[in-house]
Order: sequence, then C-alpha cells, then structure tokens
Amino acid sequence: MRKLSKPLYGQQNKTAYLFLLPWLIGFFCLTLGPMIASLYLSMTKFNLLSSPTWTGLSNYVQIFTEDDTFLRSLWLTFYYVFLSVPLRLAFALLVAMALNKGIRGLGIYRTVYYIPSLLGGSVAIAIVWRQIFDGSGLVNQFLSWFGITGPSWIAHPDYVVYTIITLSVWQFGSAMVIFLAGLKQIPADLYEASGVDGAGKLRQFFGITLPMLSPVIFFNLIMSMINSFQAFTPAYVIGDGRGGPLDATMFYTLYLYLKGFSFFDMGYASALAWIMLVIIGVFTAIVFLTSKFWVFYGDNQEGR
Amino acid sequence: MLKRSMVGMLAGLMLFVTACSGTDHTGAGGDTDNGAAESGQVELRMMWWGDQKRADITNEALKVFQEKHPNIKIMGEFSPSSGYFDKLNTQLASGTAPDIFFLGGNVVDYAKKNVLLDLDPYVGSELNLDGMDPTMVEYGRLDGKLQHISAGANARGIVINQALFEKAGIPLPEPNWNWEDYAAVSKELSDKLGDGIFGTYNFTVDGMDIYLKQRGKQLYNMENGTLGFAKEDIQEWFQYWEETSSAGGVVTPEMQVSNPHDDTSKSLLITGKAAMSLLPSNQLAAFQSLTEDPLILHPVPRGPKGTGVVFESSQGLSGYANTKHPKEVAILMDFWINDPQAAKILGSDRGVPVTEANRNLLQEEAGPVEEIVYQYTSLVSEATKSEPFDVSYNPPGFAEFSKLAQTTSQEIGFGRKSVEQAVADFYNGTVRIFESNQ
Repeated sequence: MRKLSKPLYGQQNKTAYLFLLPWLIGFFCLTLGPMIASLYLSMTKFNLLSSPTWTGLSNYVQIFTEDDTFLRSLWLTFYYVFLSVPLRLAFALLVAMALNKGIRGLGIYRTVYYIPSLLGGSVAIAIVWRQIFDGSGLVNQFLSWFGITGPSWIAHPDYVVYTIITLSVWQFGSAMVIFLAGLKQIPADLYEASGVDGAGKLRQFFGITLPMLSPVIFFNLIMSMINSFQAFTPAYVIGDGRGGPLDATMFYTLYLYLKGFSFFDMGYASALAWIMLVIIGVFTAIVFLTSKFWVFYGDNQEGR
Repeated sequence: MLKRSMVGMLAGLMLFVTACSGTDHTGAGGDTDNGAAESGQVELRMMWWGDQKRADITNEALKVFQEKHPNIKIMGEFSPSSGYFDKLNTQLASGTAPDIFFLGGNVVDYAKKNVLLDLDPYVGSELNLDGMDPTMVEYGRLDGKLQHISAGANARGIVINQALFEKAGIPLPEPNWNWEDYAAVSKELSDKLGDGIFGTYNFTVDGMDIYLKQRGKQLYNMENGTLGFAKEDIQEWFQYWEETSSAGGVVTPEMQVSNPHDDTSKSLLITGKAAMSLLPSNQLAAFQSLTEDPLILHPVPRGPKGTGVVFESSQGLSGYANTKHPKEVAILMDFWINDPQAAKILGSDRGVPVTEANRNLLQEEAGPVEEIVYQYTSLVSEATKSEPFDVSYNPPGFAEFSKLAQTTSQEIGFGRKSVEQAVADFYNGTVRIFESNQ
C-alpha cells in the first residue's frame, strides 16, 4: 500500500507545482524583491523622495505606542471583516442553494450573479454605490415611500461602513460559483436516504449539506477573509479618499496608502504593511488549525 | 526521485528568476533616448489637475505651443485634484515624474525634498520674467532657488448666491463686516430660507490661515522654520464655527461631507442650498457657469488687523529636477506666462495672469463674471496697500495637516469631542506632523 502511494504522491505534487508555476514565477520575479525592500524600508525613515535613513524598530514602536489612527483603522478593519465575510458567505450559500434546485437557464443566472464579483472591486461600481446610498439616493427615495427619512448613508460616520459592507456582500458571486460546484458534488442518494428516514429539510441542511460542503466553506472562508482584510477601493471611493468622514472609512490599507503616498512616510507605511501581513497570517493559521475540527474531507484516509 | 525533480524544478525557476532580472538590467541600460535628442525632437510630459473644462483649454494652449515650437512635443496628463498629488508622489518616487507639473500651496513640501528643477540658470534667456510681478516671482523662490513659476494669482473672498439673499429678503452685507456679522447673517439666512437651505458652508479648514493672519499670526513661519500659531490662537476659530453651527447657520456636517464645497458637480452653492462660502476668485467662473443664480464675490469678514486676504499665487509650474530637457521646460513656462495667445485661451481659470500685459489683455475682453473677479482682486490689491499682509506658504506635511484639520472640524461637528479636547489633539498632531516633515 505504502509502496504504491508514494510515487503517486510525487506525481500529484509535480502536477501541483506545474499549475503553481505561473504564480511562483510572478512571486519570485515581481513580488519577492519589493517585499524584501519593504521589510528594509519599514525600519527606516523614508519620505519617498530622499534616501531612507535607518531607524531600527522606531516605526513599529511608534505604531504600537502613540498612533491612535492605527488602532482605529485596525478596529474598523476587523469590524468590517467579521461582519462582511460571514454575511457574504451566508448569502452566497443561500443563492447557490436556490440555483441548485435545477432551474432552467442556470448558466445565465450563474453568469448574472457572478458579474458583481468581477465588477465589485472596481471604481465604477463604488461610484454607483455612492449614488445609491447618498442622501437623495435610491435607497432613501425608496424609504421615503414609507415615510422614513433616511440619513445620508455615505456621509454619516456611523453608517458609512455599512454601505461598504453591503457592497462587499453584493460581491458574493465567486463564492457562490464555488459553493454551487460543491453542492453539485454532494451525492443525491444521501438526501434520498435521509428523506426515507424522515429527515426534514433543515435536518438535511445541517446533517448533510454543511458537512459535505465544509471543504468548500473552508476555502471560501480563507479567501474571503484575506480579501476583506485588504479591502481598499470601496473605502477609497465611497469615503472621501482620505478616510473621512471622521476616519469612518479609514481602513487599514487606506491608512497605509495615505501614510506612504500622500503623507510622505513610506517607512512607516511599510511597517504598517508588515503588521498587516502578520495579522492576516495569524488569522489564516487560526482557521487552518481549527479546520480539523470542522472540515470533513469525504475522500481522506480516515474516511470521515 | 521526487527530490531530484524538485531540485530540477527549483533550479529551473532560479534560472528563470535570473533571466527576468537580467532583462530588467538590459532594459534599464538600453533606455536612453539619445536617439530622440540627436534628431532634435524633444518630448515633454506635463501634468495638471482639474476638471474637463480646464483640460480642454490646457490642451488647446499646448497645441499652440507645439505649433510655435515644432521640435517640442508635449504629452499632457491630468487627473482630478483628489488623486493628483498621490499620483505625482508615486511618479517622483519611482523616477518617472513628468518633466513639468503644477503645484499649489504645497510647493514647500516638494522644494524641501529637492525634487524641483532650479530655474535660475534659464532666467533671462529661455525664461523671461521681466513682465511678471516681482512678488509673484519671489513667491517661487524657495531655499534661495527659483523652483516655481506662478501660473495665476487669485484672492479668496466670500462667494454669495444673490438669488438666495433676495429670496430671504436680506440686503447684501456691508463690505467691512466682521465675523459676528457673518454668523448673524448666516443664521438669518438659514432661518428665513427654511428647511434644508443654509447660510454658509463650514470653512474652518480653508479659512484657518486667513483667520490667523487677521490676528497677526500665520500657519507657517517660513523664515524661522516654525509653526506660526499657538493652541490658543486656533481655539477661538474652532469655537466660532461650533457656535455658528449650533445656531443653525451652517451646512450640517453630513451635507458638508456628501457635497464638498470645492466639488463643482456637487457644491450646495450651485444647487442653491447654501448661500455663502469661501472661494478662491479663479473658481468663480467655473461655479457661475453651472448655475443661473447670480454669484458675486464679497470681502472676507474682518478681524483686528483687517481681512487677512492677499493677492496670492493660486498654483504654478515646476520642473522635475531630473528632467532630461530643462531648457524646453523653461521655454514652456515662458510661453505659459508671457504668450498673449496662451493667455487668451487659458483665461483666468487658474487665476489672473501674472504679467501685467496679459492682465490688461484679458481685462479688455472680460465678460460679466470676469468683471466681478477683476473688481474683487483689485479691491484686495488696494486694501493690502493700507493693510499689508505677508504672502504665506503652507506648512510642510500639508496633506497630513489638512486631513487632521478636517477630521478635527468633523469631530466637533458630529459631536464626538468637545472643542477644547479636539483642539488640544489637533495642536499636538500638528506639532508632530510639522516635526516629522522637517
């Protein structure tokens, strides 16, 4: 058994590396150099235009000890990630299940629902979003039919983050397509057998659909989380591009960008970037570590 | 076997890495445009900020320039003011900045970083400054070097939507009004015009330097290289706006955010929802072209030492220190300020021309809006004869400073902090920004 599986494993690895090759080339040729440079810059004072001067860890010290905006932007980003990722995944799963009912013209629906995730990160959509949620925008016109005077959702510091979360949830398309593929993999006889045994829809969902889908959920969770931590465009365009009003759109990436490119403090911005990398790494590791308790691979050795 | 293939793959990868970094080197090495220089054809990149209208006239002027200098080709680029400086900074950092570009009051930030072309060697030959006002020339001299050529002058004033004053039945204010009058008029306008229409925009940030000058202070004392004000000096100003806002005379913070006063596509002055604001005189024409309501410029309310308003550079041209064609950059600057044809095309979109000859030329053909602007700017020029004020520069780190000032104003507006607390934080932040940008 062992003798057989090892060469097969190697074969699989080779194929995997072959598929990873374009990414690896990109990483080694394009990404690695700037990453190392930014690690160096994070320990310097670098105003973008003069040459950097070595300051050791002082940027990091300043970030953790005296920077209120750092804390605020970190908190805002966490808030955004922990609200938008579950919402988006839940929404994506819901739509995927609806589309999995064998309706006609599935290809068209799939495309239509996928489009937002292609466009969602774009500036144009963020501008449209601005118009929809503005004080005299579509949403408030709709609310006014019921006699409700809505606030300007993009201009009030208390509400603007929800506008951005809505935009993020609306980009459920790519998660949905992956869910849909996962749903199609679940053998229909599981549902039939459980149906014969008298399991209701809800029971089937929690007893069959969710466990069988857990590898896909795991994948989607990781990808959405990493993406959400790095959200930039919606905050930049829906807000005023300077984190306003009142730092309510000061996402971590936006703060980093402003520090680096507007405020001439690229060393500081590099330090911020490395802190973000560590944070994303930690959260990804947590999800990976917990995954053995909730992700079930139908085809693994233990045969769970 | 697995190991060997892995090693092989890695080796291949490393080869590839070296290969691509190799190309980079040859690419950079081969990228000299000796060829272009030899043939006598020079290409300049120029960058400015602004709207489509400004882009159209700028391109038209550049076309005339290229007709007059067939050996110089200009590639124009523009972006809205919001992203302009980020873009410029990135290009400066990567060494791909345009040969010539516009800067505003933040020119100090760039001069301090030695990225601007020293223009002194070209003055008198390629660049003729004889017709330019001496104070304007001096404005571009930073750290003893001429690094900036003003492309237009303006004076800030209170823009008034006359239709709203008429509707409210309020007479136009006296020209020598003070800030108390301003608050009172704002409140009266809000009260009489009813729901959703306000007396004035909140210009805490834009008017800050004027207010300080009215009290003998300034934002930045360039000679001594220090901040020009103390915490107490600025506290009253924030307090003033807090009180005027509470009284109801000022646009709500939400509206201020969703309709920034300097965005012509959204300004409440144009949509008739706000009656007054602070406006640089060169923008009056752009605002007026978008509304039927007659707009006029009125003097800024006075403080103890006068209005604090001066006739100052609104923006100007600087060259990139590493440009390959400094001479041509100087030629283009010369054209920009001296050529009568250029002056006619450009009008006063970036401010009143900086040479007297071109000013007279434009004044002859002034339309009704330009007439208002000229009347106002000459009023300011007259006033500064009896009440002189220094032309001021923005403090270094201006982008971060103005963001902080705006946040402070919003913290007070949205009721997050008391004025005292907000101003204390503002002043500490200002000192920190100022020091880290020295």
